[in-house]
Amino acid sequence: MESVGSPGENKIQKFIIMEYNYLQNEKHRHMKCCYSKNGKQLLIPIKSASLMLFLILIPFLSLAQDYDLLLKGGRLIDAKNKIDAKMDVAVKEGKIARVAIDIPASAAKKVLDVSGLIVAPGLINIHTHVFAGSNPGFTDGQSSQLPDAFAIRSGITTVVDAGTTGWRTFPEFKAKVIDPSITRVLAWINIFETGFSSGSGFEPDLGTVNAQKTAETIQKYKDYIVGTRIGHYKGKSWLPFERASEAASIANTPLFVECHMPQYTLQEQLDHMRSGDIITHSFENVSERMTVVDEQGKVRPFVLEAQKRGVLFDVGHGGAGFWFNQAIPAFKQGLWPNSFGTDEHRTSMNSGMKNMLNVMSKYLSIGMSIPDVIARGSWNAAKSIKREDLGNLSEGSVADIAVLSIMNGKFGFVDSGQNRIEGDRKLEAELTVRAGRIVWDLNGLAANTYK
Amino acid sequence: MTLLKKFSSCLFRYQIVSLMVLTLPAIQTVNAQEIDILLKGGHVIDPKNNINAIMDVAISDGKIFRVAANIPESTAKKTVNVSGLYVSPGIIDMHVHVFQGTDKYSTSVANSSRSQQADAFSFRSGVTTMVDAGTSGWRNFRTFKAQSIDKSQTRILAFLNVIGNGMIGRFEEQDINDMNPEMNAYMIKKLFPEILVGVKSAHYWGGFTSVDKAIESGKLADVPIMVDFGEHVPSNSIESLFLEHFRPGDIFTHTYSEISAGRESIVDEKSRTLKPFIFEAQKRGVIFDVGHGGGAFSWAQAIPAFKQGFLPDVISSDLHDQSMNAGMKDMTNVMSKFLALGMELKDVIERSTWAPAKVIKRTDLGHLSVGAEADIAVFNLREGKFGFTDVRKVSVEGSKKLEAELTLRAGKIMWDLNGISGQPWRE
Repeated sequence: MESVGSPGENKIQKFIIMEYNYLQNEKHRHMKCCYSKNGKQLLIPIKSASLMLFLILIPFLSLAQDYDLLLKGGRLIDAKNKIDAKMDVAVKEGKIARVAIDIPASAAKKVLDVSGLIVAPGLINIHTHVFAGSNPGFTDGQSSQLPDAFAIRSGITTVVDAGTTGWRTFPEFKAKVIDPSITRVLAWINIFETGFSSGSGFEPDLGTVNAQKTAETIQKYKDYIVGTRIGHYKGKSWLPFERASEAASIANTPLFVECHMPQYTLQEQLDHMRSGDIITHSFENVSERMTVVDEQGKVRPFVLEAQKRGVLFDVGHGGAGFWFNQAIPAFKQGLWPNSFGTDEHRTSMNSGMKNMLNVMSKYLSIGMSIPDVIARGSWNAAKSIKREDLGNLSEGSVADIAVLSIMNGKFGFVDSGQNRIEGDRKLEAELTVRAGRIVWDLNGLAANTYK
Repeated sequence: MTLLKKFSSCLFRYQIVSLMVLTLPAIQTVNAQEIDILLKGGHVIDPKNNINAIMDVAISDGKIFRVAANIPESTAKKTVNVSGLYVSPGIIDMHVHVFQGTDKYSTSVANSSRSQQADAFSFRSGVTTMVDAGTSGWRNFRTFKAQSIDKSQTRILAFLNVIGNGMIGRFEEQDINDMNPEMNAYMIKKLFPEILVGVKSAHYWGGFTSVDKAIESGKLADVPIMVDFGEHVPSNSIESLFLEHFRPGDIFTHTYSEISAGRESIVDEKSRTLKPFIFEAQKRGVIFDVGHGGGAFSWAQAIPAFKQGFLPDVISSDLHDQSMNAGMKDMTNVMSKFLALGMELKDVIERSTWAPAKVIKRTDLGHLSVGAEADIAVFNLREGKFGFTDVRKVSVEGSKKLEAELTLRAGKIMWDLNGISGQPWRE
C-alpha cells in the first residue's frame, strides 16, 4: 500500500500524519524533513520556470494569476444558464469564478486546454447504494459500493444514496461514508427506521414507521438528506407509503419510490405521488410491477398523466431495472427519464449498467441529444432533489465540473435482458473537478510532460 | 471349435464396427454439447504455452476445452466473435488491498473503506485473480476471509502480513512483538494453503527485523515473501536486502518508487543509471513487482530503467483508495503504461498472467492450457492519443491503451463491455 500525501487527505490520513508527528523522535523528525525536502525538489524547476514566464509576461499581465484553474476552449453545456457554446471556465478558491468566451490564459495559475471536450457541471447520480461496509446486504454492507470508486471516474461529483439508511442508522452512515468521501454524498432517507435489511423477506413492524422522526432527521441533516424513500416492502398496507409521503411533505422534500413493492400496483403508486416525487426503475420489465409500456408498445395513459402532473421518472438502471422494450418505445412517445440514476450495487455494477456514463451513452444511442443527456445528468437531477446550488456552472457555484470526451466508434449497449443495441458514440470522463480540485485526470491533461 | 472361434471373433468385429458406426455421430453430438462458449477469431496470447496467434478458445464446464485454429461454430452452444481482439489468460493482479470494511479502529487499509471491493475493479479490467498484499495478518485474516474473500466472485488470494493485525495502522505495524513467524506460517501452510500464497513485510521504520521475521515465516511455510521496503529513515540498503536477505523468489514491490528518503531507488537519482547490483539481483531470483499505488511509480525511475534493459517481473496495481483515482486508475491502465514505455504486448500479458502465477506458486493459473479453469480476459487495444500519469503528476504519451472487452471467470461471463455476447434487440 503506497500513497503520496495530497492536500485533500481524508481524516484517516490526517490521523496517520498526527500519529507520525506524535511519534517523531530524532529519526522521525528527520523523515518528515525529508518528505518536505522532496516536495521542494519537485517544485524548484516548476517555480523557476513560472518565474521566468512571469518575468516575460509582466508587460501583458493585468489579471495575473487571478484564477486557480482555467479550463480553456471546451464546449460548455450548462442547462441552468442555457449555455451550449465554446466558452472558458475559471475557478477560484473552489468556486466558479467566471464563465466567458476567451478568458486570457495569463489570468490563471493553471490552464488546461479542453478543446474538443465537453465541459459540464459535475454529474449527479440520484440513485446509488453507497453504505459499503463489512456486513452481508446493503447496510454497512458488501452489496453497497464505495462512492469514490465509481463516481469520480465517471464525472460524477454528487451521489444520492437511495434509502440504505433510516432515521436510526443515518448518523452511522454519515460518519462512516459521507464524511470521509471525496464525492459529495447525499441521501434519500428510508421510511423504515433502519433502512434496508439484508434479505428480501423484510416484513417491518409497521408500529415503528415514524413520519415525525423521519422528518426531524431530514431537518437536522438538511445539508445531506434530500427526501424520503419507500421501497422493498412486501406488505399490503399503504401506511409506510403514506408515512413516507407525509415525512417528505413535513420536510418539504420529494419522495423517492423504489422497487420491490409487489402488492402496490403501478397506477396506485403513481396516484399516491405528488408533483416532484420521483419514481425509479422506470423502465423495468419484471413480474413484480406493471410495465410503463403495454403489450401493444404504448405507454399506458395513466403513466403519461402522472408525467404531466409532475411526477419525475428516474432511470434506476440496476441489475434488472432497464429494458429496451420499455425505454425505447417510452422515449419515442415522450416519456423521457428526468435523471440517470444507476442504482449502483454489487449485482448491477458489472452487468448492463457498468457506470453512469454508460447509462447516459445508452440514451445517446436511443436518440437523445448531447445537451439533453447532459442536462438530465446534471441540472435536471439537481432540481429534482431541490439542490439548485448544484448541477450548474453559475458564477459563485461550487466548482464541481465534469470534462467529458465523446468517443466515436462502434459500441454496444445491453439492457437487463442481455438485449443489445449499437451506438456510434460513448462518453468518457477526462477530468473531474470537485470543489475546484482535480480529483480525476484520465489522460494527464493537468500533468507535466515527462522530460 | 476353430470355426466357432472364427465366427465369434467375426461377430465381435462386427459388433465393434457397429458400435463405432453407432457411436461416431454420438461422439459428435456429445462434442456439440460439450462446448459451452466458443471465443472465435481472437488473437490468443498465452505465454505459458508459447501461443501468440489467431486461434479459437473453447470452454466447457468452466474449463478450457480446446485452443486451436478454426474450431467449428456448430460444435458450440454459444459463439462469441472476438475477431480484432486479444484473448489472454485472466489477469492476475498480484498486489491489491481488498479487505474492505468499516472497523472504526483501523487507521489504514485493514478492514476499512481505504481498501476496495475486489469485484468493483477486477472484471472491468480483465482481472480474474487478485492477490491481497498483506492487508490482513493472522489475527484478522479470518474476518477478511468471511467478509471479502468468500463474498467475491473474483478469486482472491493473499499474502499474510507478518504483523498479526496486518495493516490496521502504521503505528501497530512497528510492533515487533506482534510479528509471529510460527503463527503466520501455521496459518499459511496448515489452515489456509488454498488462499495464502506468501508473507508480507511492509511500512517498517526500523532495520531488517520485519524482513527477517517474514523470511523466517516464509521458510517455515515454504512460500515467498513480498517486501514494501518503505519508511526506513535513513533508508536501508536495497543491495543488502536483495543479496544478503532475500531468497530466490522473494518479491520486491514498488519497484519504481522514488521518494528520496525512506526508501532507496533502483535508479540512481543523480546519474539516472540503474544501480549495478539490480541485474545481479534479478539474475539471483529477486522478483521485481510494479505495485504502482498512489506513490510508487515514477517515470523518472521506470524510463531510465527500461532504456537500460531492465524489465519488471510482475505488473501489478496496488489498488487502494489513494491510488485508484490517481495515476494508477486500474490494472489495464497500469499495463498500458508499459506499452507506452515500449514493452511488447505479449511481454505485458506475460507479466500480468503466467509470471505472477509462477511467483505465487499457483501454476494452475495464468494460462489457457486444456483443463485449466476458464479464467479469460478479452482485450480491445484502443488506438489514439493517450496520456499516462505517474504519482508525481508527470505524464507520458502513448498511442495504445488496453480496454477489457470481455472477462470470464471459471467459464462464466462476468464483464461484457459492449455486449458482444448479447443478442440484438428487436422491436
